[in-house]
Amino acid sequence: MKLGIDEYASLNSPLHRWDARYKLVGLIILVFAFSFLRDLRMLLAMVLVTAAIYIVSGLPARFILRWLRFPSFIILVIVLTLPFLSGETVIANLGPLALHQEGLLAALLIAVRFVCIVTVGITLLGTTPLLNSIKAMRALGLPLIMVDMALLAFRYLHELGQDLGRMLTSMRLRGFRQHSFSPAGLKTFAWLSGSLLVRSYERSEWVYKAMILRGYGQSSRPQGEFKTHPADVFILVAVALTAAALVAGDILLGHNIAAILQ
Amino acid sequence: MHIPDGILPIGVTAAGYAATAAVTWYSLHKVKQKEDPRQDIPKASLMTAAFFVVSLIHIPIPPTSVHLVLNGLMGALLGYYAFPAILIGLFFQAVMFGHGGLTTLGVNAIIMGLPAIIAAYIFRLRKIGNKESPRKDGVFGFLAGFVALGLSVAMFVAILLTSLPADLNAAVEQTAIFALAIAHLPLMLIEGVITAFLVIFLRRVRPAMLSSL
Repeated sequence: MKLGIDEYASLNSPLHRWDARYKLVGLIILVFAFSFLRDLRMLLAMVLVTAAIYIVSGLPARFILRWLRFPSFIILVIVLTLPFLSGETVIANLGPLALHQEGLLAALLIAVRFVCIVTVGITLLGTTPLLNSIKAMRALGLPLIMVDMALLAFRYLHELGQDLGRMLTSMRLRGFRQHSFSPAGLKTFAWLSGSLLVRSYERSEWVYKAMILRGYGQSSRPQGEFKTHPADVFILVAVALTAAALVAGDILLGHNIAAILQ
Repeated sequence: MHIPDGILPIGVTAAGYAATAAVTWYSLHKVKQKEDPRQDIPKASLMTAAFFVVSLIHIPIPPTSVHLVLNGLMGALLGYYAFPAILIGLFFQAVMFGHGGLTTLGVNAIIMGLPAIIAAYIFRLRKIGNKESPRKDGVFGFLAGFVALGLSVAMFVAILLTSLPADLNAAVEQTAIFALAIAHLPLMLIEGVITAFLVIFLRRVRPAMLSSL
């Protein structure tokens, strides 16, 4: 199981040095501003902002290409079918299929927003170790139960993934054909899943005892984990102003992807 | 069956986050009413990790393969912990594998998490009457898995089709709904059957897991 979003978190760039709390707030502002945009010209501006952020991050190109290489199946289906299923203005005929301008623009809007939101999200989360991002969420007020659950789940994801790999190997060695379907196979998959759940449940009992011995539950929200520097605030203000400019530009231009054609 | 970034308008994604915050608050409120809520946190956390890992198993359904969702079983085993567990699982899926999205995290949590809570109540119905049996557990396990996935699919299709930034005509919309319903029916059956098998397995091996959280 590959858990690689923060594999380049140890690089040194302004985004890597940015306080994780401010980075999360900036990320939320930016991705929601992106999801607001509809004007074709502002989509171009969004692409430029995204490219600038990625370049500043110093992350290698292959990192983001790995994330975008297999876009979501739903995105593919929508982007490939909308131009033929939606709209009234026919701009081309491809055999029995008519290509519609409205559907094409909607597909373009979805594809560009998808790429930009994913790129910005991966860039900002990929420049901080994931554990630090979760701690930043705690500092921003995420309920402690959620934080504890996220940290513990993250801690054991990799181990349980290895457990699953070992169990699948054992099953194959005993003759189980993982890639062929049979009703009895469903029961085997259920028992495999059940065994993993039972192992996790039993392990959780030991973990709880170990945590209690170490004083779990005695401390409240940790203080002083993060320290604000003027540069952190400056970058957040710059990001917020950029997001505000994109949204304002979109509203002024008509908040419509086809505005440029009208 | 997660909605990715880029499709939904900001109103829907913001409403999804607001609804998720409300349901999470209510779930944590119910969890905190327990005598010692800390005791269950490691169990809920490791089960969250286990469900995440189990959802990576691909089950061959020729000509393709499917992965389990198991939100019905999560509801049945975790009760009100299921919603925060699903929210955490979806966050990890979004940042580790690119499944789902960051702006759509709230909407996806509602799509997966609300049916899990309903499944928890469905599974509790097995306690009606005084006779407990593996068959009864299996039947209610099947219903929990089948109904939870069915509700998730219905919400997923409804949100997706009503939020596309393009107008589809009624005939296309009906065809899409029909095709998605037909495509997901076998998955709902498989999810129900595996949930039933799992519940029976857990009853035999570790019955405390069926009533611990």
